[in-house]
Amino acid sequence: MNETPSKISAYGWLLQRITGIFLAFFLIFHFQVLHFTKAWKLDFSVVTQRMNSTGWVIFYLIFVPAGLFHAFNGAWQVIHDYRPKAGTQTAVKTLLWILGIAISVWGYYLIITFTKGA
Amino acid sequence: MYQPKSGFFGKYKDEVSLNPNVGTWSWLLHRITGVILVIYLFMHFFALSSSIGGETTFNSWLSNLQTPLTHVLEIGLAAVVAFHLLNGLRITFADFFFLTKPHKTIFWIAMVIFVVFMIITLVVFLGRAFSH
Repeated sequence: MNETPSKISAYGWLLQRITGIFLAFFLIFHFQVLHFTKAWKLDFSVVTQRMNSTGWVIFYLIFVPAGLFHAFNGAWQVIHDYRPKAGTQTAVKTLLWILGIAISVWGYYLIITFTKGA
Repeated sequence: MYQPKSGFFGKYKDEVSLNPNVGTWSWLLHRITGVILVIYLFMHFFALSSSIGGETTFNSWLSNLQTPLTHVLEIGLAAVVAFHLLNGLRITFADFFFLTKPHKTIFWIAMVIFVVFMIITLVVFLGRAFSH
């Protein structure tokens, strides 16, 4: 077996679990509000009303990057199962980081569009 | 010597055929639900981006998305989220609290919680779908 050396770091493993615990609590809350309490009656005013409170804004400021890190780190673990060559690994990792940061910034911008509405 | 199956799903076929146990099935389901959730996350961000167009654009997107069909699909989303969340917590507990030995028992406890959650979800979501 001449597999490419593993590039899964212990930090990746640890952060996947830490963000996972955060997301478990956040997602239960998020799902309860948007899929149980507010389901069928979602519109712009429902969202902006919620996003007018500092607590909810802080909630989403943590939720967005934590979710994206967990998603992209998870995707990396799936890709890693195929043991790509060292060069490909670096390229894919770089791409995932750029995408993750870019979408986080995009998410923050969307948060602003909802806070302005109220 | 062990020769891995080739092809895109070769690794997955190997894992399942060589080690058809609870741990392998939950690992496979965790992968599948994880990939679904990443795709859903992109769709979620895409739909939310309609807020840039202002209140009218956002509301027309939302009214198009809130249909009986999407609310039935929402049950699937709840199932995917619940499985990934509960199995993920089980993995975390096993890793952090040295619970690898009883991991199968913990898996079935998680699945009992999953079934209870899904019964509640089905009653609430289907009741709502038919009352509209």
